[in-house]
Amino acid sequence: MAGSDLFTGTLDLLILKAVSWGPRHGYAIGRWIRDTTSEDVIVQEGVLYPALHRLGRRGWLAEQWGVTDTGREAKYYSLTSDGRGQLRAETKRWSRFSSAVSKALTSSPA
Amino acid sequence: MRRIIRRSDLRDDSARDVSDELRFHLEMRTQEFIERGMSPEDARRAAARAFGDMGAIDAALRHESVLRDRYRARRDRLHEMVADIRFALRTLRKNAGFTAATLATLALGIGAATAVFTVVNGVLLRPLPYRDPSRLLMVWMSSKQYGEELPLSSGFYSDLAAGTTAMAQTAAFRSWRYTFAPSNASDAEQVEGARVTPSFFDVLGIRPAIGRPFNEADAAVGAPPVVILSDALWRRAAGGDRAVVGRQLEMSGQRFTVIGVMPPGFSFPRGAELPAGLAFGARTQLWTPMGFTEKDRQSYATQNMAAIARLRPGASAPQFHTTITSILERWRLAVAPKLDLHYSVATLIEQAGEHVRRGLLFLLAAVGLLLCIAWANVTSLLVARTTRRRREFAVRAALGAGRARIAAQLVTENVILALAGSMLGLAISIWATRAMLALVPGSMPRADDIAIDWRVMLAVSAAALVAGIAFGLAASTQAGFAHVASSLRDGTRSATGRHSTFGRRALVVAEVALSLMLLIGASLLTVSFARLQRVEPGFDPSHVMTAAVGLPVPGEFNPKRDGAEWARFFRGLQDRLSQSPGVEAAGGVSALPLADAVESGSTSTIGEPPPIPGKAHFTEYLVTEGDYFRAMRISLLGGRTFNGTDVAGSQPVVIVNREYARKYLGGTATALTHQIRVFSDFSGGRDARSVVGVVDNVQSGALDGPVQPQVYLPEQQMNYPGLAVVVRTRDDPTAALTLVRQQMKETDPRAALDHPRTMQRVFDESLARQRFSMTLITVFAVAALVLAMIGLYGVISLMVNNRRREIGVRMALGARTADVLRMILAEGAMIAAVGVAVGLVGAFALSRLVSTLLYGVSPTSVAIYTSAALLTVLVTTAATLAPARRATRVDPTVALRSD
Repeated sequence: MAGSDLFTGTLDLLILKAVSWGPRHGYAIGRWIRDTTSEDVIVQEGVLYPALHRLGRRGWLAEQWGVTDTGREAKYYSLTSDGRGQLRAETKRWSRFSSAVSKALTSSPA
Repeated sequence: MRRIIRRSDLRDDSARDVSDELRFHLEMRTQEFIERGMSPEDARRAAARAFGDMGAIDAALRHESVLRDRYRARRDRLHEMVADIRFALRTLRKNAGFTAATLATLALGIGAATAVFTVVNGVLLRPLPYRDPSRLLMVWMSSKQYGEELPLSSGFYSDLAAGTTAMAQTAAFRSWRYTFAPSNASDAEQVEGARVTPSFFDVLGIRPAIGRPFNEADAAVGAPPVVILSDALWRRAAGGDRAVVGRQLEMSGQRFTVIGVMPPGFSFPRGAELPAGLAFGARTQLWTPMGFTEKDRQSYATQNMAAIARLRPGASAPQFHTTITSILERWRLAVAPKLDLHYSVATLIEQAGEHVRRGLLFLLAAVGLLLCIAWANVTSLLVARTTRRRREFAVRAALGAGRARIAAQLVTENVILALAGSMLGLAISIWATRAMLALVPGSMPRADDIAIDWRVMLAVSAAALVAGIAFGLAASTQAGFAHVASSLRDGTRSATGRHSTFGRRALVVAEVALSLMLLIGASLLTVSFARLQRVEPGFDPSHVMTAAVGLPVPGEFNPKRDGAEWARFFRGLQDRLSQSPGVEAAGGVSALPLADAVESGSTSTIGEPPPIPGKAHFTEYLVTEGDYFRAMRISLLGGRTFNGTDVAGSQPVVIVNREYARKYLGGTATALTHQIRVFSDFSGGRDARSVVGVVDNVQSGALDGPVQPQVYLPEQQMNYPGLAVVVRTRDDPTAALTLVRQQMKETDPRAALDHPRTMQRVFDESLARQRFSMTLITVFAVAALVLAMIGLYGVISLMVNNRRREIGVRMALGARTADVLRMILAEGAMIAAVGVAVGLVGAFALSRLVSTLLYGVSPTSVAIYTSAALLTVLVTTAATLAPARRATRVDPTVALRSD
C-alpha cells in the first residue's frame, strides 16, 4: 500500500524536510510535498498519515495539538533532535544514491 | 501555533485523534478545491479522490496505532520501574539505620551460611576428582586389639587382588619420601611420594597429562627406575617444560627417568583423607612403581600399604567385601587360625570425609540456626518498618496509587535489599571460606576440592530474589491501605495491633532460643578446648625447634646394608648440635609426638612364657638419638637415659614409659630389673634388651587420645635413616633452624631437611580441628546474640512507642518512674524467659549431636547451661534497658496530646 521501499524512504525524507522549518500539520506537510514535487511523489494523499504516525513512533517527529491561524484545531508535527539527525543522514544518503543512479542512467555502454 | 491540551495528550484516545486529523485534512482540501472554483459538492468528491483508498489507509493507521500502543506500554513500564528503583534507593538511603541493620544481618547470615556450606559441599558432597568416584572403595584391615583402618601387607594385598579380578580392579600404594634437589642451586629437600602398583592410575581413572602411566615392566625387579611427577612438582623442578619426559632426575641417590606428568590438581593420595599411620604428605608430589616378588606375595607380617579398588559394572561393595573376607578366611584356616584380622571397605568419599563429617554437620546445623535468626530479624525489621509506613501508603493510596503500584514499590525495595544483602554475603563468604581453611592448615581433608561453587552462588541469589519478592508481597498485604481512612485518621497508633506484635514477639522468642542454643554449643566447645589445651602432653613444647632430617635411601630400605652409615650420620649431627652455642639439648626421634604417625608392635618379657597370639605386649615404639628426653623435657622417673655407651655391639638397651611399666612390668620400680624383646626390632637377632630407664607418658597421637605403652630404642642400636631432630634453645627456637641446616650439610651433604617448625606450633596444629569448630561456633554464637539483642531492642522500642499514651495516662494518674521502668523491663524479661526456656530444651535435645566433639566436659553440663542462660538473660535485659528508660522520660502532657 505504502509502495516500494524506495517510495517509503523518499516519503519519509520529504516529511522530515517539510517540518524542518517548524511545526506543521498533516495537511500543510502534504501540500508542501505536492507543491515542491509537482505532485509526482504523492499519488494518494492519505498515505501521508500512516507515514507521519510511523515517524512519530520512531521518535523522529513530535505531535502536538494546536490551533491554526483560522482558529481550527489541528495536529502539528515537529522535528525532534533525533529526527533532525535522521534528516541529515538520510539527505546525505539520498543525494549519494540519486547521483549514483543518474550517473549510471546517463552513461554510455562501456 | 497556539498550543492546546487535548484529552489524547493525557490519555490514549488514538481513534478519535485520528478521525479528527483526517477530517481536518479533508475539509482543508475541500476548501482548496472550492477556492479553485468547484462547487462544494464536487470539491468534497475531489478531496476524497485525492485522499485515495480510505479503507487501505485506515487499515494502515490502525496497524500503526497498535504498534504505537505496544511501544508506549513498554516505555511506561520501563519508566515505572526506573522510578520505583529510584524511589526505593532514595527511601533506603533516607532510612540509613534500617537499611544498614537489614543489610548487615542479611550479609552476615548469608555469608556465614554460604561459607560453611561451601566447605561442607567440598568435603562431603562434591564428587571426588577421579573418574566415576562412587565405584572406588578403600580396603582396610581391622582387629579388635590393634584397631580400625589398618594397612595391608603385600601378601594380603596379592591374595586379594588375584581373587577379585572378576569384580574389581585393584591397586596398592604406600608413602615413600625421596630426597630431591629441585635444581642444582637449591638444597635437597624431602618430597612426599607414593610407591604404587602399575594399575594405580587406571583404578583412579586419571591418565598423565604428558607421557604415559606405569606398566607391568616398570614394576619388575631390576627394571630401570622411573617416576611420574605431579603438575606442581613439574612446574617447580622442570619449569613446566613439556620435554621433561625421558629426562633423568636424581632422587635419593638414584637416577630416575621421568615418564609422565599428572594433570594439575591430581595429588592422590592426600594425607588428610587417609589414616595418619600411613604417613602420606598433604599432597603427593611424585609416584614411583611398586612391584611384588614371589617372596613379597608370601609376606603377611609387615602391614604398610593401602589398597583401593574400582568395582566393575554389576559388582557391589557388599559382594566385594564378602569375597575378600572368604579369601582371608581360607588363608587364616591354613596359616593362623587364631589371628584376629578382618577386612573392612569404605567408599573413597566416605573415607575422605569420615573424620570431619560430624564436626562439619554440627557447624552446618549451627550456621543454620544463625541463618534462622537472621531471617527472623529481617522479617521483624521489615514488618516493623511497613507498619510504621502505613500512613505513607494510605496517603499514596488516597492520591490514586493502585494496590498493584504500591505492591510493586514494596517488592522493588525488598528485592534491592535482598540482592544487595546477598551480594555482600557472597563477598563475605569468599573471604570467610579462605579464613576457615586457614584455621586448619593441611588437616582438612579434600581442602583442594573446596571451591566457590557458582551453583551455590546462583542458588543464594535466586533465594534472595524470591525472598525479596515474598517479603514485598507480604509487606504489601500488611500495608493496610485497604483502610485508607482509618489509617489516616489513627496515624501510627493503630498500626500495631495485637496481631502484629504477637508475631514479632514470637520471632524474638525464637531468636533468643536459637542464640542460647548456639551459645551453649560454643561454651561446650570452648570449655572442651580449654581442657584439651591443659592436657599434659608429657613434654614441654616451648623453646624447641624441630625438623625432619633424613639421608637418602637408595632403592630398597635395607638397614643391614646402610644402617651403620645412618647411625654415624645422626651421632655426628647430634654431637655438632649439642656443642653449638645457645643449644641447651639436642636429640632426635623417629616419630614426633602429636605430629608423626608412630609405629606399633609387640614385645614380650624375658623369663615369662612366650605370649599366646593376640596377647602379646602391644606397644608404640620409637627410636631416639642424643639427648631427646632432655631436649623435650620428658621426665625420667627411674634409671637413666641413653648415653654414648649404648652403641652397636654393647648390651642392647631399652627405655619404657610409665604406662608400659605399669601394664607389663609391675610398675616403675620393678621395671628396671627386667629384660624385654621387641619383635619389630630389625637391628639383628631380636636381642633381649635391658630396661635401663622409665620415662613419663607422652601423648603421641593426639591430646585427647588414650595413654599408650611406649618403648624407646637408641638409634645406635636400631638404625633409622630419618629422624625428627629436636633442639631446645635458650632463646628464640626458630634461630636454631639455620644451625640445624648448616650442621646437617657439614655432617653429610646428601642429607635433606623438611617440615621445620617449633614444637609449640606442632602442639597448636594438633588442635587445629578443635580450634576450627570452636572459633566458628563462637563467632556464630556472638553474632546470634547480637542479632537477638537487636531483635528484642526493636520489639521493646516499638512497644514503648505504641504505649506512649498509655504510659502517659499511667504517669498522669501517679505512676512513678520505677513503676514504668518495671513494667517495660517485665515485658522484655517475659520474652527473654520464654526464649531461654525454649532454648534450654532445644539445646538439651541436640546435646547428643555435640557429644562426640567434646573432651572432658558433659554435653549437658549444668554449669554451662546455667551460665549461658544467665548471660542470655543479662544481654536481653541490656537490650530492653534503653527503650525502658526512654519510656520513663515520656511527658504525660505531650503523650496525651499527640496521636
